[in-house]
Amino acid sequence: MEQREEIRLTIAKIIREKSETGQLMQFEELLTELAGQGLLNPEGADQRSHLEGILRQVVSENEDIKELSSKNQIPHYYSSRSLSEIYAGILVRKEENSLIAEIVRENSAIYPRPVPLNIFREPPFDLTQEEILDYLEKMGKQGEYQDIAQTTTSIGTVFLYSNRHLDATYASILAEWLDVGQANNP
Amino acid sequence: MANHGGWAGKVLRIDLSTRRISTEDTIEKYKDYLGGTGIGYKVMWDEVPTGTKPFDPANKIVFGVGPLAGTGAPCNGRTAVTTLWPTCWPKPLVASGHMGGHFAAELKYAGFDAIIIEGKADRPVWLRVVDGKAEIKDARHLWGQGIRRTTVDINQQMGPESSVAAIGQSGENLVPMSVVINSYSHSAGGIGGVMGSKNLKAIGVRGTGSVRIAENKEEWEKVVKLHLSLLGSVNQHVVPNSPQPWAEYYSPTRWLGSKGRKWGSAEPNIETGACDPHNLNRIAYRTNNAAFFLGEKAWQYTVRGNGCSSCPIRCHTILKVPSVSSKYGIRAVGQNTCAGLVFGREFFKTFPDGPRGQTAIEACMVGMSLTDDLGIWENYGQMQRDFQQLYYSGAMKNKVGEDEFKGFSWDQYEKGDPTFLFELLPRIANKQGELATALGLGTGYLLERWGISEQDWQQNQKIAYWKMGHPRHHANEDAGQCGVIINTQYNRDSQCHSHVNFTRNGLPIKVQKQLAAEIWGSPDAVDAVAAYSPMNIYKAKMAKWSLLRKELHDSLSLCNWMGPWIASPLKERNYRGENSIESLLYSLATGDKKSRDELDEVAERIFLLHRALTIRDMGTKEMRTEHDTIPDWVFIDPTGKASFTAGTNRMDREDIKLAMDMYYEEMGWDKKSGSPTVAAYQRLRLGEVADGLTNRGLVP
Repeated sequence: MEQREEIRLTIAKIIREKSETGQLMQFEELLTELAGQGLLNPEGADQRSHLEGILRQVVSENEDIKELSSKNQIPHYYSSRSLSEIYAGILVRKEENSLIAEIVRENSAIYPRPVPLNIFREPPFDLTQEEILDYLEKMGKQGEYQDIAQTTTSIGTVFLYSNRHLDATYASILAEWLDVGQANNP
Repeated sequence: MANHGGWAGKVLRIDLSTRRISTEDTIEKYKDYLGGTGIGYKVMWDEVPTGTKPFDPANKIVFGVGPLAGTGAPCNGRTAVTTLWPTCWPKPLVASGHMGGHFAAELKYAGFDAIIIEGKADRPVWLRVVDGKAEIKDARHLWGQGIRRTTVDINQQMGPESSVAAIGQSGENLVPMSVVINSYSHSAGGIGGVMGSKNLKAIGVRGTGSVRIAENKEEWEKVVKLHLSLLGSVNQHVVPNSPQPWAEYYSPTRWLGSKGRKWGSAEPNIETGACDPHNLNRIAYRTNNAAFFLGEKAWQYTVRGNGCSSCPIRCHTILKVPSVSSKYGIRAVGQNTCAGLVFGREFFKTFPDGPRGQTAIEACMVGMSLTDDLGIWENYGQMQRDFQQLYYSGAMKNKVGEDEFKGFSWDQYEKGDPTFLFELLPRIANKQGELATALGLGTGYLLERWGISEQDWQQNQKIAYWKMGHPRHHANEDAGQCGVIINTQYNRDSQCHSHVNFTRNGLPIKVQKQLAAEIWGSPDAVDAVAAYSPMNIYKAKMAKWSLLRKELHDSLSLCNWMGPWIASPLKERNYRGENSIESLLYSLATGDKKSRDELDEVAERIFLLHRALTIRDMGTKEMRTEHDTIPDWVFIDPTGKASFTAGTNRMDREDIKLAMDMYYEEMGWDKKSGSPTVAAYQRLRLGEVADGLTNRGLVP
């Protein structure tokens, strides 16, 4: 087996294994991993561009291997056998200020429904209460997030929605239904 | 019978008055009605005269199971119990209760498809059924005992594998709001008092036989695997509650399993994991109904899921809450699902630590401990909503004598102290005092006794009362006009989940509409929640389909709480389920090959027989105005929002008239009266039923 083919197979394997743990593979991690296996020389000046070329081939040859770039253009890789596009999309945006707003907009548009605030404390978001409140405060001050609004149910659960897709009354009715109504109508 | 699989082949008939025990051939007499409610309605039509009262010896109880019970088909654990319904107001009519557990499978293994109970024993008895033989046994030592002790006593006699369906003190005392329970937590509401009226304390069944699969076994295994692969979580919610690595979508569904979530009272703790739907060995980890209904705190008390034979869903949750033993003197372990799980909590308006705090969970534990032993029924939460309304409106104080009223610890009640349940619930079971007696009658008879107009209840959205003594059960709040139509059709709450298990499945509305177009002919059959569009014919088709699948499930022993399976969690199938799974299973199990449409036609026959029974016993053909009624609250929005705008479940009166027109037309019934025509009966080979009704002037 030629070394280039061996590297391609190894890359696909590494990405798939990482995806099985619910995580994305970053370019830098991959570089380190391959170097650790002696398949790339980390000191080589052209290794980055060499790996970029191989990765392009890996993605084109393997239907399940996908590339995603974060806002700062860092490429991430995953296998759609284990990770859905939506889940990978959340992971790649985890560090971005816009994550909560984008999730709220998506939910308001496609289901449609508001999103309970506490969902952001769970995987894969894993934000602390303080981080969530911090995001909300920042969003409140920035013009691009003015469509993100809150509604509180009769038992005190806070939901977020985008008023581009849901009006306040509809969002409030849906939040009450999701939080209280469904459980009262088993 | 010789060539058929699926059915056990015999129906057991027990005359408690004469102690005569006999059997009938299932295929000869009941094959055209499948089993379950089908056998139930047939017996009621043929054998129980109009004018019979629920507690008369002439009333009968039919414990019916279907040809799929006891096979390897998923979710086949339902026993349908059909009788004259004691809480149906103002006149008792036919209805059925449905219990899961292990009774259905055990009955089949014992060689029977149904047990028909008739007459009245001259003293308390229980029925022992083992491998083709039945005995009427003395139950005097069990009379006065709760369901748990009765179950243990009979299990000790018959062996731990036997399934025991028993009533508690509530049923013995002829309280209409009573249940029969098998396997400790699987109840059928409304039946307890009827069993009590016959002096029948319990039925124990044990079978060592099996159910024969008539057709190719490999094909059967393939279809069972297909069915398993389509399963979602409880109520066929096919989308997880939070983002999962494998999932394209997430929604606030009852699919709660997730990486990091643990059954905290299992020893050692068990993590549910991400529950990839392709792993068929992890289906049971998807559901935690306690956490859904009681909140996040319930995870720490969860021991595991529990459920029915051959069902991987496990919709019952076993909880272990050590604090309740010392605080209330009850067992630390309890189990149930849905309305039974929250029975105790729902009496209270508030709790000191909020609706999802520790006290609310303890109220649930106390409620389960008492009601699943005393055998009280909650009528899908209507008893508790009635209680709150009567108390907080002041009506209760006015109707109950002063001395009696003072005898309750209302301070404790208002504070949300679960000890209040020890004052209330045993009194209901024992008919002690005016309040408890009235609550035990069921809503219709309670209102009549206390001189309260039914209309008062029908105008109050919060009480969620529908008609005839019973509440709404997935009506306009879940499926707009389709839900309204379904809620008009039965003589108790509709118990139909065919529609709601689709509309609440968690898929985005665009995907739901794609599936709806394939199943009912147009994406317009469904709307987004609380954003309903005007009536169209596809909604009527969905209503008809929903009702027929409910009857089909109730007759095959499939669980209509879990099915139908027309959507799935599988992206590679574009989230399609299989609309023909019932006919595939039925054909292979029984050898009686039927297409989906042919089997739906059998379901329609069964449903029509229910309609005919209702018409006969009501003595009117004016079903549209006298039976298929809709409460006022359906047409009211508390904020005054107009119908057909986003943010309201309010229906429009003219539109609902059109909905009923379209529904009756779909069914082939007379639009003006809402009654089936002679042609409709004849089309479904119910010509004799049509003749009987024609002689009484009850066909349009």
